[in-house]
This record gives sequence, structure tokens and C-alpha cells, in this order.
Amino acid sequence: MPAKANSKYMRKFLTVISILALLFLIQNVIFQNDKLNAGQQQTNQISKENPVKDNGIIDGIQTFLNYTGFANATKGHFIMILVGLFFIFLAIKFDYEPLLLVPIGAGILLGNIPFMEGANLQIGLYENGSTLNFLYAGVVRGIYPSLIFLGIGAMTDFSTLISNPKLLLLGAAAQLGIFITFFGALALGFHPAEAGAIGIIGGADGPTAIFVASKLANGVSVLSDGTVTRNLIGPIAIAAYAYMALVPIIQPPIMYLLTSKKERQIRMKPPRAVTRLEKIIFPIIGLLLTCFISPSALPLLGMLFFGNLLKESGVTRRLAETARTTLIDIVTIVLGLTIGASTQADVFLTYQSILIFVLGAISFIIATAGGVAFAKLMNVFLKGDRKINPLIGAAGVSAVPDSARVAHMIGLRADPKNHLLMHAMAPNVAGIIGSAVAAGILISYLL
Amino acid sequence: MSKLLLNISDLNIENATIAFVGMAIVFVALIVLYLFLKAIPKIIEWQIKARVEDKEMLKGQTVEELQLPSGVDAAISAALYLYFNEIHDEENAIMTIKKVSKTYSPWSSKIYSMRKPLR
Repeated sequence: MPAKANSKYMRKFLTVISILALLFLIQNVIFQNDKLNAGQQQTNQISKENPVKDNGIIDGIQTFLNYTGFANATKGHFIMILVGLFFIFLAIKFDYEPLLLVPIGAGILLGNIPFMEGANLQIGLYENGSTLNFLYAGVVRGIYPSLIFLGIGAMTDFSTLISNPKLLLLGAAAQLGIFITFFGALALGFHPAEAGAIGIIGGADGPTAIFVASKLANGVSVLSDGTVTRNLIGPIAIAAYAYMALVPIIQPPIMYLLTSKKERQIRMKPPRAVTRLEKIIFPIIGLLLTCFISPSALPLLGMLFFGNLLKESGVTRRLAETARTTLIDIVTIVLGLTIGASTQADVFLTYQSILIFVLGAISFIIATAGGVAFAKLMNVFLKGDRKINPLIGAAGVSAVPDSARVAHMIGLRADPKNHLLMHAMAPNVAGIIGSAVAAGILISYLL
Repeated sequence: MSKLLLNISDLNIENATIAFVGMAIVFVALIVLYLFLKAIPKIIEWQIKARVEDKEMLKGQTVEELQLPSGVDAAISAALYLYFNEIHDEENAIMTIKKVSKTYSPWSSKIYSMRKPLR
């Protein structure tokens, strides 16, 4: 067993070191980026000034070579290809969120195959009319996140939350990371709309982060103050999904730091059985209440509760089954692939991306700390068997179901007979609602 | 490294308001939902009590008391599962070879994978 534990720690250590090394590499490239871009533009101009002349086979081969990936490759492309391979490696070797990291990793490879830009080949994701561009429209218009939420709603069981509704507050407290990171991003010189999109990484919800970024930082939309923000969808989405995959590494140290062993051993009362009527009423009331308070979150919350109604109504079994299996699988494939492909070296390898990754990590840490600290605060007012194990506060960051699983594992280490998974699922699903409400608020304020 | 200098001027009142009001609204939304969820069992309890004729018997009981505890639920479910899915006595122990019908395709035809006899 100790050897197994050692290899587990070694794996975590290797992952963190690899990420730091990649960030270091990216930083090195960025300072040469301007130079590279200038060179690229010059190459393009030369190729335009010298159109293909019909001078025989040599010119033909030369033209062909100019169009190959080798002729157009930059250092940035290779670094991004390494990042893509690293994602695929993490998913296959360590089983970190493979359903997300494999499509995203493959997408990064697709998006970073060098080609002659400006030749109107309609290949790249950012070139109008290309296949990838067509698929990317689902990201920019927020279609995929909504469909993902439909699937999440159709697969989520809210009964633990319904049986112990006070745990909803943990889902709210864990959104602290979003708003504090918003401040941090502002201080680092981001536009308020961009800062809002970066802050949402702390919601630990990939579709929500993509939805907000697609509204506030898509590089296209003109905001009310007339500014056009930068396109940060790629870095924000990658940061959100990467940190979600790294939840088992990021959260435990904070949980240990903020709780005593006695607190980690708190046993919670088993949840009561929930009636079918309650399960049916919940999505209807949830939909009406939350969407009236934050209408901008309608595409997310509306779909989430609609999906849950399909599941709980009991009369739309086929629709619920499709939403939680086939539909969400299809959307995950396309979403992962296009998000990965949106990280083209020239868009992704920027100084802002590093800042986004750093801010995202801070956001995650604050969100976790917020949830745990609020659970401790609630315990001050709760007595006897109503007390909450503060570890489940960390699950308020959403990242379903990984953060709940982490709370469960840490709880088991303190008391091998204390199973927290069921309790942790309540703040976990509350976190989805909380981060979607926060997303709606940010959009309505900043758009 | 000069790029990392903090730009405090962007931390104005307007942005601070967005953050504080935003956090407050998240709490308000979930507190309202909490209050509704807390009220639902009471409404159902009232409804159940109104339906049941023998009101005297159920007097003073909450929904939690009226329903079976989750542990009992789980035990009954497990018993039913074992009863329906693990009955071995009536199992037919005769194993037969099932004939699998395949549609003909020249790509998978056995005839093409065999050598033709010399004539």
C-alpha cells in the first residue's frame, strides 16, 4: 500500500511539474511571438507578390512545399502540439477527465497544424466558411453549453439537496472565487468584461465558463461602451477544464489547511427519503425562481431544470435518456474538439493566457476555501446531529462529481466509516446552480 | 516583469459594486430556493394529513415520521432486488449452441478465404 501511495504522490508531483514546465515554455515563446508574427506576415506578403508561375515541375513542388505544415510551422505550433499531447497523455495514463481531455487534446492538435494563413484555404477555426469555424459557432453562440446543461439536468439527482436544502448555501459561498478573481483580473489590467469571464473559472464549471466567455470575451461582440474585448474563450475554457481535471490535486491541501481532524470526522445525519412530488416540483420552482432573479442565465438554468424535469416527471423517460446519454456525448465531442482547436498558437500563446491560468488557479483555491469556511460558519449556528462536515463545503465549487468525490475521500481518511459522498453531492449540484446564477449576473452587468 | 504591475485604478466603486451585488444576488437566489424547498415538505405534510381519514392517529407527526426512514427503504429495495434477480432455483441449466444468422456479404464470405482446389 505505501508503494501505491508513493506512486500516487509521484503522479501528482509529475503533473504539477509538467504544467509548470509547459507554462515556462509558453512564456519563453511569447516574448518572441511578435517577432515570429512579423516574420509570418512577411512570408505571406512575399507569397502573395509572387503568385505561382507556370514554370514547370520545380515551381509546382515549391508551391506544394510552401503549402505544407512544415513550411508554415512556428515554435508556437510545436509547443501547442506538445500541450495537446500532454492532455491526451494525462487522460489516458492518469485517467484525468478523459471524456474531456481526449477531445480537447485532439482539438489542440487539429487547431495547431500549421497551414498557409491568408491563402483563403478555409481550413482554420477562425477562417470564415471552414468546417471548424462552422462547428465553433456553437461555442461562440453559447449553444453547446446550454445543451450540456440539458444533459446534466437529465442525469442529476437533486434528492440529497431537496432533503437537506440548507446545503444550497454552500453552493453560493463557493462562488466567492468568481468575484474575488474578478477583482484580481481588473487589477492586472483586463477589461471588466474580460475580468468577469476570467473570474467565472472559479465556478469550476466548464460549460458555464465557455458560455460567459462566449458572451463577454469572444473578440467579436461590441460591448455597450463600444469596446471589443479580446478573444479569450480558448484560454478560459482550457483553464477551466484543466483545473476541473486537477481538482483532486488542488483541493485537498486547502481542505486540510482549513479543517481540524475533529471537524473532518463530523458525521452527518442520513438524508430523508424524498417524495416523487418533491422531485417534480423542484425543477419547476428552481427554473422559475432562479430565472426570474437572473434572467441572463436562462439558457443555462432553463436547460438544466428542463433536463431535470424530463428525468423526474417519469413520463418522458426516452427524452431524458437521450439527453443524458447520446445528446450530451455528441455535444461533448464537438465542444471539446472545437475548444481545443480554438487554441491556435497565435491566439493562445499570449501573455494574457498565462495570467488567465494563474488567475484561474487562484479562483479555484478561493472558491474551495470559501465553501469550507462557510460550512464552518454554519456549524456555529447548528447543533447536534445537524452539524455539517466542513469538507463538503469544498464540493460547492461544482466540478461534478469530482469535488464531491474528493470530499468523500478526505473524509474517509479521517474516519474510514464516515461516507460523505451523498452529502457532498448536495453542495455539488448547488454549485452548478450558483455558478450559473453568477454567470447570469456577470453577463447582465458587463455585456 | 513590469507587465505584472497592478493597475489599482480599475478597482473603482462601479466594479466593486458589481462584485458585491453579484455575490449578494447569488446568495439571495439560493436562499429563496432554500426557503421554498424547506416549505415544500410542510405543504406535502398538510396535504397527506388532509387526505388520510384517521387524523387522530397521525396527529403531531411530521412528513419525516410519516415516511419510512431511508435505511428501511434501502433494506426493502435490496430484499426485492435479491428476490427478483438472484433466484437460482428456477434457472434452466441446459446450455445450447445458438445459431447466429448472418446476412451474406462478399467481404466476409468464407468461400473467398479458402483456397480453391486444383483441377
